[in-house]
Amino acid sequence: MKRVITGNQAVAYGVILSRVEVISAYPITPQTTIVEELSELIASGRLNTRFLKVESEHSAMAALVGASTGGARTFTATSSHGLAYMHEMLHWASGARLPIVLVNVNRALGPPWNIWSDQSDSLSQRDTGWIQLYCENNQEVLDTILQAYRIAETVRLPVMIVLDAFVLSHTSEPVEVPGMEEVDPFLPPYCPDYPMDTQEPRSYSVIATPEHFFEFRYKIQRAMEEVPGVAKKVDDEFRARFGRGYGAIERYGKEEAEVLLMTSGTVTSTSRIVVKKLMEKGLSVAGIKIKRFRPFPSEEIFEAIKGAKKLAVIDRNLSAGVGGIFTQELRASLYSREERPPVFGFISGLGGRDITPELIEEAVQYTLDHHRPEEEILWLGLKR
Amino acid sequence: MSKQLQFKSVSKMPEIAVSMGLMEWNRTGAWRTQRPFYEDKTPPCSAACPVGNDIVSFIQKIAQKDFEGAWTILKEENPFPGICGRVCFHPCESKCNRGSFDEPIAIHALERFVADFIAAQHKKIEQRVEKGRERIAIVGSGPAGLSCAYHLAKLHYPVTVFESFSQPGGMLRLGIPSYRLPRDVLDREILNIEALGVEIRRGCTLGENLKLDDLKEYQALFIAIGAGRSRSLQIPGEKGKGIRNGLDLLKKINVRKRVNLGEKIAIIGGGNTAIDVARSVIRLGKKATLLYRRSREEMPAFEEEILEALEEGVKMRYLVNPIHIHQKDGLKRLECLRMELGEKDESGRRRPVPIPDSNFFIEVENIIIAAGEEIEFSSLPRGIERKEGIVLTRRDGSTGIKGVFAGGDLASNQRTVAHAIGSGKKAAMAIDCHFKGGNSEEAIRQVLIGEGPSLTIFRYLHPDERPMDSHIVTFEELNTDYFEPSKRQRESKSSVKERKKGLEEVTSTLGETAALEEAGRCFSCGTCNGCENCYVFCPDASILKEGDVLSRRVNYDFCKGCGICFTECPRGAITLEEEAR
Repeated sequence: MKRVITGNQAVAYGVILSRVEVISAYPITPQTTIVEELSELIASGRLNTRFLKVESEHSAMAALVGASTGGARTFTATSSHGLAYMHEMLHWASGARLPIVLVNVNRALGPPWNIWSDQSDSLSQRDTGWIQLYCENNQEVLDTILQAYRIAETVRLPVMIVLDAFVLSHTSEPVEVPGMEEVDPFLPPYCPDYPMDTQEPRSYSVIATPEHFFEFRYKIQRAMEEVPGVAKKVDDEFRARFGRGYGAIERYGKEEAEVLLMTSGTVTSTSRIVVKKLMEKGLSVAGIKIKRFRPFPSEEIFEAIKGAKKLAVIDRNLSAGVGGIFTQELRASLYSREERPPVFGFISGLGGRDITPELIEEAVQYTLDHHRPEEEILWLGLKR
Repeated sequence: MSKQLQFKSVSKMPEIAVSMGLMEWNRTGAWRTQRPFYEDKTPPCSAACPVGNDIVSFIQKIAQKDFEGAWTILKEENPFPGICGRVCFHPCESKCNRGSFDEPIAIHALERFVADFIAAQHKKIEQRVEKGRERIAIVGSGPAGLSCAYHLAKLHYPVTVFESFSQPGGMLRLGIPSYRLPRDVLDREILNIEALGVEIRRGCTLGENLKLDDLKEYQALFIAIGAGRSRSLQIPGEKGKGIRNGLDLLKKINVRKRVNLGEKIAIIGGGNTAIDVARSVIRLGKKATLLYRRSREEMPAFEEEILEALEEGVKMRYLVNPIHIHQKDGLKRLECLRMELGEKDESGRRRPVPIPDSNFFIEVENIIIAAGEEIEFSSLPRGIERKEGIVLTRRDGSTGIKGVFAGGDLASNQRTVAHAIGSGKKAAMAIDCHFKGGNSEEAIRQVLIGEGPSLTIFRYLHPDERPMDSHIVTFEELNTDYFEPSKRQRESKSSVKERKKGLEEVTSTLGETAALEEAGRCFSCGTCNGCENCYVFCPDASILKEGDVLSRRVNYDFCKGCGICFTECPRGAITLEEEAR
């Protein structure tokens, strides 16, 4: 059934359709309405889920660690400082190999105080061992939640789904909401590998000395390496059932383009328009949408950039002292390759400033006009 | 301890850091330095109840929709739940811990609900046939006498009650107007007592047609003839025409006798009798003005009754003291002095002091004096001791004469229905001890609720059931995180217009939904209600269940004594104690 809903409502629908058993959350803008919708449904008795009110995001994740260890399908949503506060427990969730799904509404961290879209909150959690998936529109948000539980529960790693603050979280779009009867066969109930049983008590997350700790981390890396294959299988099945699929990345525009523009999140939607317009002008341009940030889709990108002369990346984030994080990840993954076109690292839209079609066009034009970037960081739309 | 694990390769290791074997060998209970255990404590309501009702238990039964169970618990201590639910001044509610949170539980309304619910089911009361050897005579069939009779009958004694009026009930019938206590409620609760085999002989007045010698054949005597003599004002003109005493007037109205009264009536006094008279007079279509020598603050009448009296149009004049009643053309001219409040007296209330030369007159057609009641000592056995105007009794209700006990208003200055019921119950226990040769004072000490003076006869009969520590749970000891604010359920009242039409009951019984809601508000202070917070929170899975029910036992093999169960118990039903070293 098609509904006109906000990104936050799309999240709530995804959670309901996934038959989540335990939700724990502490409210933070702009994700607030996600847990509002869910808690209201639970309070009204229409959703048979345990909702845990907690006193902080750290506790929200800690509670899910417990619930997930106990065998429940779990969910939480947060944003910005809330995600930062969860940091320690994010490590715990992945270390304990718990298939928790978290939605983060992308938002800047203060100070200065700012509640608008920016990727620095989720990218700060790059190394916590979580799978990270970025969404472009509200339909993708809903669909990604359904896929995320399948992926998480297959590889036993937690998944963070990311959507842009306000641009998606509070903006309504038509979304196809599948029925429960369609989702159930796609997403069977979760069965933990090591179920808790008070009759057969075990000790969980026990100490591992240097003798064994190393191997546990190795196993997490191996699980991450399984993700591309598992995610593709899940996406293919999803496409077969629901007629929609997303891939780890998506290439659009001219087939053999000279310049490839890489974006993530809603900037991609704007880029599609710009790329189309520039192609019509006869420019050799194509775009790549990066959906999966962790594990980084290196192989998929190599396939997609074959023949490209130059790569432009727009980062809505800043790792001060280096530059854009997507740019760095791309440069690092190219290093071992024979074919390594120059990477133009643009930074734009920090703290929610609009990344307009004009700015994107400016970035593409710059890349076309220059053999190599003149600076490590190319500031797009900065008031100099 | 098992040996340290050594994995040779990553493929042989589990996916997560989980123990490979079961952990039962690890008796973490050995680490414990403090021990939690379930121990019910005294709720403040029960400790404050002069009847000694197990309030939390009966409310729990209501919450479980087991109204019959609630009735059974109420009847353990009290033969009159329907009466108490209506006329008791409910000190339990003043002490209710919920009062410190939002509003106290409407305990009286719940008690009344249960009584009326069961009455509507037309439940047959069980008959007792087996009888003991000792026979007991009770003089007075008021709440004290009948409570004593009820409990003695339940203890299997043959009991005979002597009542001077033609119907039993004492003050319940003669003193309390039917708009507060409908006669069918009174009759049905007395019938329940008679159904236990209690014989009530009507029309037997002690000192008149009933002599003490007639009672010699009884092995014990409980005297509860109340305080039936109106106190006089000791002012000139008091004995004149058209001046009546409050209690006599109430009795007449309450047994539906015709009374001749003018239109404008002054009532002198500030106690419950004065209010009852004023409200009754209003119902006869008259104008009632109440004169009280202190201020509203000091009025001994129950607050709710004062409010209802004001609603109904009773005029109150405070700080007014009558000093002389003059007769003038059939009217009464009441000469009064204005008063002001001085220092506190021995009752803790501020003493009224006359303002010199403040004399003024009030003209009315009748004056009703309701300035308190006194004991009529003349008919009592010789040798009975008295003190401060009442019969002196020991802690167990016994008088100086062997086998003679006294209770109710006769032996107490706390003249409420609830206190009377409590004293009758205490005497029943003492009489039982008396016959069995036990130490009744010690027996009473064993069954005090909290520090007393309320006591429970249930514990006297079943010393091992529902044990309860004497500590009274305070509000601070509750974990109120688990309680949501909620509104107290109120009984509806008929409109003032309706009320003035006759002697119909003013308040109505709670409906089932409201009663369930109200019962759900009870904190169940100190009493485990199986909420399972302990079970949910215990990190060592050491709170044991029996089937689906909380067993209220702790598995000390694994309990580390962290105290989370103790902290998270919303109602203080778990005790945490240092382990002996």
